[in-house]
Amino acid sequence: MKISLQWISDYVDLSDLTPEEIAYELTMRTVEVEDVHKQEQAYDKIVVGLIRELRPHPNADKLRVAVVDVGSEEEATIVCGGSNLYEGQRVAVALPGSYVKWHGEGEPVEIRSTKLRGVASAGMICASGELGLEELFPAASEAEIIDLKDFDQPAGTPLAQALQLNDVILEIDNKSLTNRPDLWGHYGIARELAAIFKRELKPLSGFKLDPALRDNAAALPITIEAPHRCSRYAGLIFSGVDSRPAPFWLQARLHAAGMSPHNCLIDITNYVMLATGNPTHGFDRRFVEDEIIVKEARPGETLELLDETFLELTTEDLVICDAVEPMALAGIKGGKKDSLHDDTTELVLEVATFDALSVRQTAQRFNVRTEASSRFEKALDTQRVDQAIALACDLIFAHFPQAKLLGFSDAVAATTEVVTVEVGIEDLTGSLGQKVSTGEVKALLAGLGFGISGTSVLTVTAPSWRSTGDIEEFCDIVEEVARLIGYENFDFIPPRVTLERAVKQDHFALERRIREYLAFRCGFREIFTYPWVADDLIEAAGIAEDGMLSLEQPPAPDQARLRSSLVPGLLGNARANLRYVDDLRVFELAQVFCAGQEVVSDPAEKLPRQELNLAAVIVDRSDRGVEIFRELKGVLEELPRYTGAEPFCFSSVQKPGWADDAVWLNLTTAAGDIIGHLGLVSRRAMNFANIKRVQMAVCELDLSKLLPLPSRDNVYRPLPHYPLVAEDFAIVIDETVSWEQISAIVAPMVRDLYFVEEYRGSQVPAGKKSLLFHVLLGSDQATLSTEQIAGKRAAIIKQLNKHLGAELRQ
Amino acid sequence: MQELLDNMTREALAALKEVRTETELQAITQQYLGKNGELTAVLKGLGGLDPEARKTTGQAANQVKLILQTEIEAKKIELSNNAPVLDHQYDLTLPGIKPPTGGLHPITQMCYDLNDAFLSLGFVLFAEDEISSELFAFDHLNFPPDHPARESMDTYWLAGTADKTGGSRLCLRPHLTGASVRYLKANGAPARFVYPGRVYRNEATDARHERAFFQYEALIVERDFPFASGRLLIDTILEKVFGHKVKTRMRAGFFPFVEPGFEIDMECQVCGGVGCRVCKNVGWIEVMPGGTPHPNVLRAAGLNPREWSGFYINIGLDRLVMMRYGVDDVRLFHSGDLRFLSQFS
Repeated sequence: MKISLQWISDYVDLSDLTPEEIAYELTMRTVEVEDVHKQEQAYDKIVVGLIRELRPHPNADKLRVAVVDVGSEEEATIVCGGSNLYEGQRVAVALPGSYVKWHGEGEPVEIRSTKLRGVASAGMICASGELGLEELFPAASEAEIIDLKDFDQPAGTPLAQALQLNDVILEIDNKSLTNRPDLWGHYGIARELAAIFKRELKPLSGFKLDPALRDNAAALPITIEAPHRCSRYAGLIFSGVDSRPAPFWLQARLHAAGMSPHNCLIDITNYVMLATGNPTHGFDRRFVEDEIIVKEARPGETLELLDETFLELTTEDLVICDAVEPMALAGIKGGKKDSLHDDTTELVLEVATFDALSVRQTAQRFNVRTEASSRFEKALDTQRVDQAIALACDLIFAHFPQAKLLGFSDAVAATTEVVTVEVGIEDLTGSLGQKVSTGEVKALLAGLGFGISGTSVLTVTAPSWRSTGDIEEFCDIVEEVARLIGYENFDFIPPRVTLERAVKQDHFALERRIREYLAFRCGFREIFTYPWVADDLIEAAGIAEDGMLSLEQPPAPDQARLRSSLVPGLLGNARANLRYVDDLRVFELAQVFCAGQEVVSDPAEKLPRQELNLAAVIVDRSDRGVEIFRELKGVLEELPRYTGAEPFCFSSVQKPGWADDAVWLNLTTAAGDIIGHLGLVSRRAMNFANIKRVQMAVCELDLSKLLPLPSRDNVYRPLPHYPLVAEDFAIVIDETVSWEQISAIVAPMVRDLYFVEEYRGSQVPAGKKSLLFHVLLGSDQATLSTEQIAGKRAAIIKQLNKHLGAELRQ
Repeated sequence: MQELLDNMTREALAALKEVRTETELQAITQQYLGKNGELTAVLKGLGGLDPEARKTTGQAANQVKLILQTEIEAKKIELSNNAPVLDHQYDLTLPGIKPPTGGLHPITQMCYDLNDAFLSLGFVLFAEDEISSELFAFDHLNFPPDHPARESMDTYWLAGTADKTGGSRLCLRPHLTGASVRYLKANGAPARFVYPGRVYRNEATDARHERAFFQYEALIVERDFPFASGRLLIDTILEKVFGHKVKTRMRAGFFPFVEPGFEIDMECQVCGGVGCRVCKNVGWIEVMPGGTPHPNVLRAAGLNPREWSGFYINIGLDRLVMMRYGVDDVRLFHSGDLRFLSQFS
């Protein structure tokens, strides 16, 4: 919203303050001022010029050479193509060094002395578009320049001064205004500034309605048929009006506040809104048949708006009707037929209070947002209608000497009730953290229109304009007092707390240790992907689709579904990164979702199932084999030990959808619950995901099922008294025999057992594999002798041979 | 013979003195003690001597042998001690061999930094599920029923629930604040907790806007907690992020779930508060909202607002990380692009 400081000065005297000081205090205490715009900056070195002489241009038909008095000793010679030039004309002259918009478009460019078709030209006679003033000086054609005939100012007067375009405009962030309907007009901001700077607030208007005219129902009966959507509707009938333009100062104010002037009547309706915050609307009395009814539209009714938008109305839309048909979309925009026209001579002025939600919903449904709707949406008080009426009357009578108020009807369905809050001065002191006196509070709040009575417990009565949802209870008063004292005037008070016990949150600690284990010990990079996953990746990962949730309005049509597994996201990530690297290790910790009816915090709320999952992937070039599966298995085997989690085991119960048929495992708890999977990604999955020339090993596990150990559970083993002996075994054994079987036999016979490698090849018979393992032997009684070692070796071979048919490799 | 042996000893010892390499040492060892060595020859010739001469020469030759062996051994140790590890030049400018190159996401790093700070103040961690409901995301937080954030153009509602209300209308949480009520309902007051996490907004993305981003929120609920004490939370965050005390100011701001509400600005770290392009010449940068929990929020959490008050702060982690490292595109955080992430090891 744009606030004109000149306009503000009508209501409060801030002449001793700079615009920056005003903007700073407003920002600190009330609303954010985003910019302080000084109008005259745009008109530097642009002056009123008086054309002394006009000569034809020797080399161009459409150009003329003007000799212009620009207030300096020498007259300026300026080449100009203006179509409406005449000798003795006052014009706007851009002198060298000033900036104008070339042909009214783009960024301003600098004017320099130059030669135009061979004739020197020391500046430019401006058209309104070149100065951004097309609204104040509408031009009939592009060649028409600004004619300052109505501005009797001496040549050389700065244009900003001549046109009173020396206003300062505060650009206020609308978001910071959403809870303050009272600030959507200049008078509200003025009231705020008066309170902040402790100044007197002048009355908005001294106009008093003739009580005899009040409720002259015979002139214009008004009925509110939807009282929950319109609490007050006043209609005033004026004769003796016409479509003359508004005086320049009024147009300049609308221009400063960001609205375009039209004609005096329309401009007055807008001026009243920009001053009071209460929108108003004008109808042409000729078209208002008999009466005004505020009601919900009937199905099938239509309305053509002022901007020629054609609406098909429903019962959800509130409209202003006469005896025959809808005339306006209530609180949003007028209809074309019934609103003001160039030949209007009698005005029906609407000043009303419409319900915020009603206006918002209709504005949204038709996607019509107007200055009026954005104000009604904030919830206005009914009392403000009186202010708006008084100001409108003032202006109409001032600008239309013939005007007569023929009638005034005022339908009131409800009056905004002022809010009363009890405020204990002790409580206030507690919340503020510093002592305030009753007198201080009274003085501060009175400036904002609050009424206060009482001493130790104050009864604070909010003004009506703060009573539509803004001020409700004690804390609202705390805020008003605190911001008027100034937040920067409160010193930091260190909070006092009770120490009870140390923070111990094992699940969070485990989650962090897992991330750090993967990142710092295992060389994985943490990634984040979106919770919505692309359909092709879900398909590639072979994820079961039932139970998957989806978004009502997804970011993209093929990304509607929310992940039930992190694997599709990892496939997508690998595919993307493989454009730059040919191996990678990444992991992600994130929630996955699945339909459900979980009660987490409140029985009134049913949430889907949401689990925190961990997924990791190792990708390597396919010519490097599939050792990545064992690498990832190793990462998982060591994870419980390094991160302090309950151990899990590996089993083969249920193949995950994305895994190769032969190379996968489940992770299971001691109780047998599956908490995750590990496997090589199948060829199918990689083909579907369009991933080539690599192997991928993936694991995913449900972290909520991985329990943190309450403390470390490492077990101490005394160091061996006698040296251990290392022995290697190379055996040949059937392909079908697993390491687990070998380990079951060998491990109990040795101190430690280590797998070294497997080998298949020409030296090994078909159907067999060669296997190398490494053991540590030892005794607690003595150092093993050569014979003892040989005996243990023989025993191991014998057992392997007996149970598994293994032979020592020759 | 004795003279021969004396000369041999002298020459050998002199030669040994000059030895610089293992090879030279071997050559000398061969020359005297090898199979065809000079001393070996003397020893071999003992058999042809008369017993008397054999005895004296033998003794003398063995004496020489002992001397040479001792000296050769000493030389060997000396050579070994002085031997370089390499027999060629080593390029010391070659890069080191890197340890595993994994790492945490820069947002996780920032989050853990802040957790460490808050946990040291006795705060606890809390995590809320990412799918929440209108009840917790809006109703409990004093958002009016017609608040625009409840609409589909702002919040990601779940299919099939968009036309429901309250606890049955489900969404990807649009902010973290709903978690505060969940925690307080379950744990009561007093309370000091932080609840970082990811939130979602339905909006067009560009270098400064994301649909999924991270927030860090902290709430303290105590009896008689003046809003000015809330600076503790603000300072804890900013000092952790910037490594030094940062000047801040609290100014009026409106958010439905706080009253009084604040916009918190910090002194521009680029210009030190004098005004520059980054802070749009005001010297201050808006970093986080905060404020005292609104009584309706406390009521929703089952707490009596006459009894309890406190302070919230909420900061965008993405933006903090962007400030910390000068990252210029917020979308990189969810890109999973290793060329980006590997910069934050």
